[in-house]
Amino acid sequence: MTPDHDVRLSALMTRPYKYIRLEWNPEFSALRLRTCVKPIQCYSLSAMTELQRVLHDIAESPGLVKHFVMTSDVPGVFNFGGDLSLFVLLIRARDVESLRMYGRRCVDLVWWMENASKLGVHTTVLVQGDTLGGGLESVMPFHKVIFERSAQAGFPEVLFNLFPGMGAWNFTIRKAGYAIANEMILSGRLYTAEQLQRRQLVDVVVDDGDGEAAVYSVIQAVNPRLRGTLAALEARRHAAPVTYESLMAIVDQWTDTAMTLTDRDLRLMERLARAQARKAGGGAEGAVDEIKRMELDTAWGEERGTGITVWGGLGG
Amino acid sequence: MLPFFADLVTRTDEARRDFETNPVVLDAVAHGMPIERYRKLLLELYHLVWHFNPVCAAAASRVPDGLRQVRYFLYEHMHEESAHEQWVMNDLEAVGVSPATVLAHQPSLNTLALNGYNYWAADRRDPCSVLGMMYTLEVIASVYGGTFAEAIRSSLLLQGERGVSFISSHATMDAEHMAELRQVLNTVTDEAAREAIVESTLVNFHLVTRVFEAV
Repeated sequence: MTPDHDVRLSALMTRPYKYIRLEWNPEFSALRLRTCVKPIQCYSLSAMTELQRVLHDIAESPGLVKHFVMTSDVPGVFNFGGDLSLFVLLIRARDVESLRMYGRRCVDLVWWMENASKLGVHTTVLVQGDTLGGGLESVMPFHKVIFERSAQAGFPEVLFNLFPGMGAWNFTIRKAGYAIANEMILSGRLYTAEQLQRRQLVDVVVDDGDGEAAVYSVIQAVNPRLRGTLAALEARRHAAPVTYESLMAIVDQWTDTAMTLTDRDLRLMERLARAQARKAGGGAEGAVDEIKRMELDTAWGEERGTGITVWGGLGG
Repeated sequence: MLPFFADLVTRTDEARRDFETNPVVLDAVAHGMPIERYRKLLLELYHLVWHFNPVCAAAASRVPDGLRQVRYFLYEHMHEESAHEQWVMNDLEAVGVSPATVLAHQPSLNTLALNGYNYWAADRRDPCSVLGMMYTLEVIASVYGGTFAEAIRSSLLLQGERGVSFISSHATMDAEHMAELRQVLNTVTDEAAREAIVESTLVNFHLVTRVFEAV
């Protein structure tokens, strides 16, 4: 490491962070980022600001970080995705600019991951718990995606008449193809780690508790052939490109769609937001259980042939 | 440059999230609350609503002439909110609290602090502070009010709007108010006024959370 790298590393590691924790492994030049967003583990505005700061620092110091690893410090939850109550607030305030700004900031994070190979950084993510919507979108551009067996994930947005707008279509199509992207995004279903692996969205599934060892194995395996791996990944981007323009066009469409949500849609979003908060507060059931209940409600609506879901117990 | 509303949302995001994830608030929104606690909450709410218009009036009288749109916004809002303390009184009566008890009620220290801060801020800090109070109350009403009213209605087996008329109607009304408030906030360009609005929002979220906690 050069003296300049020493200074930059020290600056990176000593910044005061509230929602993330950084660890440095000098042997592999690996930066480990653990997220712990309070009070709900989601992409809140403040958490994204910190994350952006770290990624900016890495990009500003070429050659300093060779491996970037992201995990969650919150037991049972990787990330719940977007800040749903913020969405409700902005939609009710009809604040299209702020909602678009939020969406674009999410896309900028995803775009950084997509460009990591160009920056000389190999990225690995370890998912040890629930990851929903934007949480799953944020995982997909990583070079290596590791799930522990009990982790579940999905794109529930369609349940409240929205769609995942920060990379889900682009990255799911690239990794798994159109049919699977359609199935996952339009159904709003939740998937187990193994189901995601069968759909090519997860590279490695390990037993619960073995995730850390799996991360280490990936770094050990990639490190001796890092330059070649990164070059190949960069070539892959040319073979199956995801463009910033496309991501931005989709997030703009997402914003416009969000502004058309009805009061019923917003109340469903609130129901999910409350479930996230319950889990954050130590409750046994969280958003995943709530989504299952919503799926069941939808199925009941369809079975009755009404096409209308009876949203009983919205307050529960 | 970020519109001020977006800046306000960003800078007070944590305070809003602290309110929504406070265990007492969370439980109340999810499951309602026992009648005794609901009565206590409405009694505190009565004093907040009763002082809402005087705080707005104090602010309106001090808003500089250059912020004519803020003054008109306050006039309109005061007109709409006029006599809403009576709705709270009616809800209290529906859950067994007489008007005499309401009028004799001594507000909690948190409620006194909240009202005291809002008067002080309108008088000494910056008249635009009042917009921070309004933002907080409207976020709470429009984002959480509907589900809270629903939870109270089912936990206390109340019929229709009886006992929840204030909270329930503000949940719908304030969605409209929020859009209007955003527009007026975006017209405030003075840096000191903006800082005062942010501070007021933080204080209001903090103290409203304490009011909830204490009942």
